[in-house]
Amino acid sequence: MNEITLTINDRQVKGKAGDTVLEICQANGIDVPTLCHLGGLSDVGACRMCVVEIEKERRPVPACTYPARDGLVVQTNTERLERYRRQILELIFTEHNHFCMFCEASGDCELQKLAYRYQMDNVRYPYTFPSLAVDSLSDYLVIDHNRCILCGRCIRACSELAASHTLDFSQRGWKALVTADLEQPLGESSCLLCGACVQSCPTGAIFGKLNLYKGKKDECQQIHTVCPVCGVGCELNVLVKDNNLVRIEAPGLAEPRGPLCRMGRFELLRETRPRVTSPLVRGEQGKLEECSLNRAVEVIAGRLAGAKDGFAGMVSTRIPSETLSLFHKFIGEVIGSDSIDTLDGASYRIITEGIRQFQGNGRGLDIECPIEDILEADCIIVVGADPGKTNPIVCTLVRRAVSQKKAKLIVIDPSRDVFPLWTDLWLKPRAGSEGDLLNGLAKILIDKGLVEPGSAELIKSFKQYGIGEVVRSTGIERERLELMAEMYGRAEHGVIIYGEGLLQTNDASAITTILNLANMTGNQVGDKLRVISLKPRANSRGAWELGLAKGMKQDKPKGLYLLLADEPQSEELLTQLRGIDFLVVQASYHSLVTAMADVVLPSPIWAEREGKYVTMDGRVLELKQVLQPKDGLPQDQEVLRAISQKLGRKST
Amino acid sequence: MLAKVKVASAWLDACGGCHMSFLDLDEALIDLANAIELTATPITDIKEFSPVDVGIIEGAVSNEHDEQVVKDLRANCKILMAWGDCACFGGIASMRNLFDTEEVLHRYYSTESTAKDSKIPSSEDIPPLTKVRPINEVVKVDCYVPGCPPSPKAIHYALAELLEGRIPVVPSEIMRFD
Repeated sequence: MNEITLTINDRQVKGKAGDTVLEICQANGIDVPTLCHLGGLSDVGACRMCVVEIEKERRPVPACTYPARDGLVVQTNTERLERYRRQILELIFTEHNHFCMFCEASGDCELQKLAYRYQMDNVRYPYTFPSLAVDSLSDYLVIDHNRCILCGRCIRACSELAASHTLDFSQRGWKALVTADLEQPLGESSCLLCGACVQSCPTGAIFGKLNLYKGKKDECQQIHTVCPVCGVGCELNVLVKDNNLVRIEAPGLAEPRGPLCRMGRFELLRETRPRVTSPLVRGEQGKLEECSLNRAVEVIAGRLAGAKDGFAGMVSTRIPSETLSLFHKFIGEVIGSDSIDTLDGASYRIITEGIRQFQGNGRGLDIECPIEDILEADCIIVVGADPGKTNPIVCTLVRRAVSQKKAKLIVIDPSRDVFPLWTDLWLKPRAGSEGDLLNGLAKILIDKGLVEPGSAELIKSFKQYGIGEVVRSTGIERERLELMAEMYGRAEHGVIIYGEGLLQTNDASAITTILNLANMTGNQVGDKLRVISLKPRANSRGAWELGLAKGMKQDKPKGLYLLLADEPQSEELLTQLRGIDFLVVQASYHSLVTAMADVVLPSPIWAEREGKYVTMDGRVLELKQVLQPKDGLPQDQEVLRAISQKLGRKST
Repeated sequence: MLAKVKVASAWLDACGGCHMSFLDLDEALIDLANAIELTATPITDIKEFSPVDVGIIEGAVSNEHDEQVVKDLRANCKILMAWGDCACFGGIASMRNLFDTEEVLHRYYSTESTAKDSKIPSSEDIPPLTKVRPINEVVKVDCYVPGCPPSPKAIHYALAELLEGRIPVVPSEIMRFD
């Protein structure tokens, strides 16, 4: 680090070479107003609010783009600068519609705050009143061009953080507009609805539909928690007013997991499913009828007494670890069954079996690298996975590596290219032949000498392996397999991502091959391999580590206690539940699943519960309670304890 | 006792909220009444201006009549103060500038959801609409109290400053545009 010394407002301050003047001001607590600057984004000097005077410069310069040098003499708040800044604000106000009284952003607006700061009680220039479009056709976002100050923060967030680059400027000068793709409505564009643009917009030009006029920031309580949807574990800042969710933001937009995704930022606010507000039991006419918790517990206790092995427990991995542990105990000690599984337990069993075959010991999921590792990749293989659907932030990181590190992207998927327009090579093996393809890749890497010298044993095991066989079974030409081997084998930093599609082939050896590939090409970071398996739910890994994914003893147990919580119903689950004699469902929402149940018990939603989540890369994060439970509904623990007590056993 | 400061005010293209906010000074009005005398205002319902110390305008200039009123008040006052976003910046009133006048009149007088089949009134007594302008595009304004409406606090601050003999500039802490 090369330290430099500057004089700012007659004060000596230090910084390091490469910093901008603005960065040094901010690091030293010197207040310089900004508008187009946002920490974590590149600086463009568009708004001119941060102008400063620098000795020997003929005119004021924007601090955000001016590289600091040793010995610079800077003034940040002269009378002339303050006059210029106010003038800039006045010009911005005349350009578009910046009347605050009916603006969603009023109270949270950076432009408004600056106008107050500069006591802008009138404007000396005529307003232009252009009539600009409002694009409200997107599911979650609105762009009101009339409110836009053309700072470009959304554009930079979209391209630099979300790596989507849907937004950019069209037209020039005073006709310039922020536009999606080639002047498409946002809803028909390549927008992925991550909402990074909403969080980066300083005014009310881009805003979320679901939080419209629900509350200003300083009227809300802000709670730092973790996203309850997928295994990535993005941290969330949830804004709450009067026990209602107002909006969801990232506490650190510029962090790798900061852009968030449509699921975490918007879909959590869009809940429309009817809530289970009371216990229900199936009455004599076969209909579910409301009853007291006591009555429901009696019915369950009656059926459970002496049920033992015929009974099983199943649980959603959206539930935090503490509740999972309790549920584990409940099924084991209260019900007396060791037949227990999670909704994604089958995936876990294949992954761990694959890891076991690879190294023969129990390091388990710790062998995988953290997802941030994707950012440094120069080659990425996505096999049997659709991260855009299951774990969108992984998708974001892949796009960032491709656009910012020029990483090569290889997709192996029998049905579709999951990164259309981003993929360098899409291999389309016959369904179920992904494992052969990966073996073929290993063989070619060995033949080409693109493997680490230490892999002698592995090399031997591939000696008899024939590429012709691979070509036949996968239906992929040899040249394309070789192309892929070149890309991955010659990469400095190759990451392999796999998911649901590969796990459904039920082939643990494919996972072993993936680990072997990473191992033999030296794609290691510390004691971890550059391999990432996508975990579908927030606490998938936590549940697996707690041993809840043992698997059920029978396909169709006589009775099943399903702790579903706010998990959405799936066709797969419904099929699994058909033909079970006695079904207890503890769920937050009514669904086809609760409709099948003999007893339905209420359960809190994510926002009403608390506890620990273990993210897919093994970090432990705290889910905080952000809402009081609706109508004073009980927590899962209370329901489980009530049943335990009825059965005369203590569960803690 | 000192002579009272004479004040006149006008209400142009606006909702009246600024004058309402003035009345919301509540008990502070009692003290104020000892110091100022309201002459022609929408509150006293006197429309002819006579010379005053302070002229106050709520609302934007929206037609030829508004323009006359503004010029008349300016000519009759020593200090002219603009109240509210419409007078200071154009505000809601100026949103009409986004459309053409014909379009606005049509929307107002003869669409399904407003007044089906009625006519756009026309008479030489009705001043034609002009482009909507903030007051300082028409005459010189000496001080401004923005807000939609301005808070009673901001209005009180401005009047108190004037009574102290200073031209008020609303401080950042109490300035609001909404």
